[in-house]
Amino acid sequence: MIQVTNLHKAFTVKDGKTKAKKRIEAVRGISFQVNPGEIYGLLGPNGAGKSTTLRMIATLMQPDQGTIEVCGLDTQKEGEKVRGRLGYLSTDMNVYERFTPRELLRLFGEFQGVDATIAERRGLYLLDKLQLTDFSDVKMDGLSSGQKQKVSIARALLHDPKVVIFDEPTTGLDVLTAKTVLDLLRVMRSEGRTVIVSTHVMPLVDEICDRVGIIFDGELYGDAPPREILGRYSVRTLDEVFFKLAAGGGR
Amino acid sequence: MKGVGLIFKKEWMEFSKDRRTLLFTFVIPLILFPAIFMMMTKMAQGDSVRRRGQASRIVLNDPGGVMKPFLLEETKLFQLVEAPGGDLKQALRDKKFDLAVDVEEDAPGKLRRQEPFAVKAMVDESESASELALKRLKEAMQKQDQVWVQARLEAIRAPKDLPKPTNLIIEKASDLALEMSKLLGMIVPYILLIGLYTNAMQHGVYMTAGEKERHTLLSLLSTPLPRSHVIWGKLLATFSIGVLGTVMNVVGMGLGFLILGQQAVGSEAATAGAAAAPSLSFASLASPATLGLTLLLLIPLGLFFSSIILVLGTQAKNSREAMTAITPGIFVVVMLGVFSMSPGLEKMAALPYVPVLNVALTIRKLFSHEFVAWQYLLAFVMTSGLAAAMAWVSTSILNRESVIFKQ
Repeated sequence: MIQVTNLHKAFTVKDGKTKAKKRIEAVRGISFQVNPGEIYGLLGPNGAGKSTTLRMIATLMQPDQGTIEVCGLDTQKEGEKVRGRLGYLSTDMNVYERFTPRELLRLFGEFQGVDATIAERRGLYLLDKLQLTDFSDVKMDGLSSGQKQKVSIARALLHDPKVVIFDEPTTGLDVLTAKTVLDLLRVMRSEGRTVIVSTHVMPLVDEICDRVGIIFDGELYGDAPPREILGRYSVRTLDEVFFKLAAGGGR
Repeated sequence: MKGVGLIFKKEWMEFSKDRRTLLFTFVIPLILFPAIFMMMTKMAQGDSVRRRGQASRIVLNDPGGVMKPFLLEETKLFQLVEAPGGDLKQALRDKKFDLAVDVEEDAPGKLRRQEPFAVKAMVDESESASELALKRLKEAMQKQDQVWVQARLEAIRAPKDLPKPTNLIIEKASDLALEMSKLLGMIVPYILLIGLYTNAMQHGVYMTAGEKERHTLLSLLSTPLPRSHVIWGKLLATFSIGVLGTVMNVVGMGLGFLILGQQAVGSEAATAGAAAAPSLSFASLASPATLGLTLLLLIPLGLFFSSIILVLGTQAKNSREAMTAITPGIFVVVMLGVFSMSPGLEKMAALPYVPVLNVALTIRKLFSHEFVAWQYLLAFVMTSGLAAAMAWVSTSILNRESVIFKQ
């Protein structure tokens, strides 16, 4: 389970013109909860604060204020334990191209403290699920971007994490590969894992998310099943929710 | 500390997958230096042999004919040529002859009166052929002087050894091995400083800024491994590759020196007779103790340089930015390296207290068989301290979000 409470995060950036430093609040008091066996969709336009929120949950960033609990563990105090229970994948992650998928998974199995035999077995299982068995011993600089993305997914799931965070998992993937990823997410839900998916591809949300939270300008709107949100804003698509939020300055 | 080992293993695995880098880091230095030294020796030898086999071309102006007879006697050494027209100095610079000799007009009279006569020689010192001609002329004149002096001594019935009351016998305290070892001791610190820095630079940048650029760092940081283990693993990998690469360079250079030394031995043997040729081996250039103590000093120095590279590499957005930040360091290291080769360096009282340079000084003394324990310890402790401080800085930098997510 993931419990996010009153999360705040700000960055100091330099203005290109004036060279003056200014503080930007990327996340402003976000709270939500994701339960086991549930896929939670975190939606929002670029720069809304989705990735920052997910990075804080994955312990890659520290919140300025607020708390995050993953499987009952405080991310700020027990970061290493949290990372051992969590599978994290984002668009700004790539694979080590000098390795083969099998070598990479074996190595990350060691990083995650997974027994070598179990890591090998689970790695092969994941590569099979992601239709990569034939490429398991091919050096990754020879794989397509979709195949590399699949290896990244296998890498994130190798240690059998209870919590899965996928930041834009289908970006840059063809329809067939994207379907494979979505099928895998459904399998994870059926296995009782806690899943958060961030995306701005609305059909994907409709298809797999049990609940969604819409982040706009660092604040969370919604946090309900997709249909309920559509009803709340009296619109037919989630895209229209964005337009309404943008037009109303978030209100 | 298992995490450190795992990251170390990952970095070495990744490094070993790149065969070209392996070849250039470990194999090429072993071949390159001996090949260069061999080529240089052959070229120098060939040139020297060629010059020695040819007679020096002399333009002789000897109105009294005092010198001409004994110069003509040495047909293998001298060839008298006509003076070319125009400026004689320019003609010498244009290599139309090797030496111009002008003998005083009244030389026969002065010789008879037992007065010294002047011989002027015009030489181009920038040309080895001209220098050789002057050397040959001096030797020929010395020989002829002896003939004339002996004739004068005979005339007054004086003993032959009258003009030579002393006989200097030279005994060399240092052998060829020590001379070569001292020379190696001057060059080794330079090679070590530059080798350690540049090797660490290439691989350290690949492991830090390179990981950011290739978008692989986040996957590493999303594992349960503590960040300190990640950076220490990378530090150890950078250090070990850097040190091994540098050691290969030094071994290659040692082999080169061996070739150079054997050549010198060959020349000595040719002069003194084959039986008198001294032996020269790798062990005679540097004893196991010298090598061991030098390698031990490389540990803190390598860690210090690797930490600097990791600090700069981690802070950079990409490899290009990292290289831009790290490159000025090469000039600093080259300057330190050149300084470390200066003659008389060991006499500077403050040098044992100057970081990095004290390592160069200590290594130089080791190769000169002048081990000073307190200087060695000071250099070791001081460099270790610096390495530890920089390692701490690099760890704290990897904990900064602004560094990890720098775009």
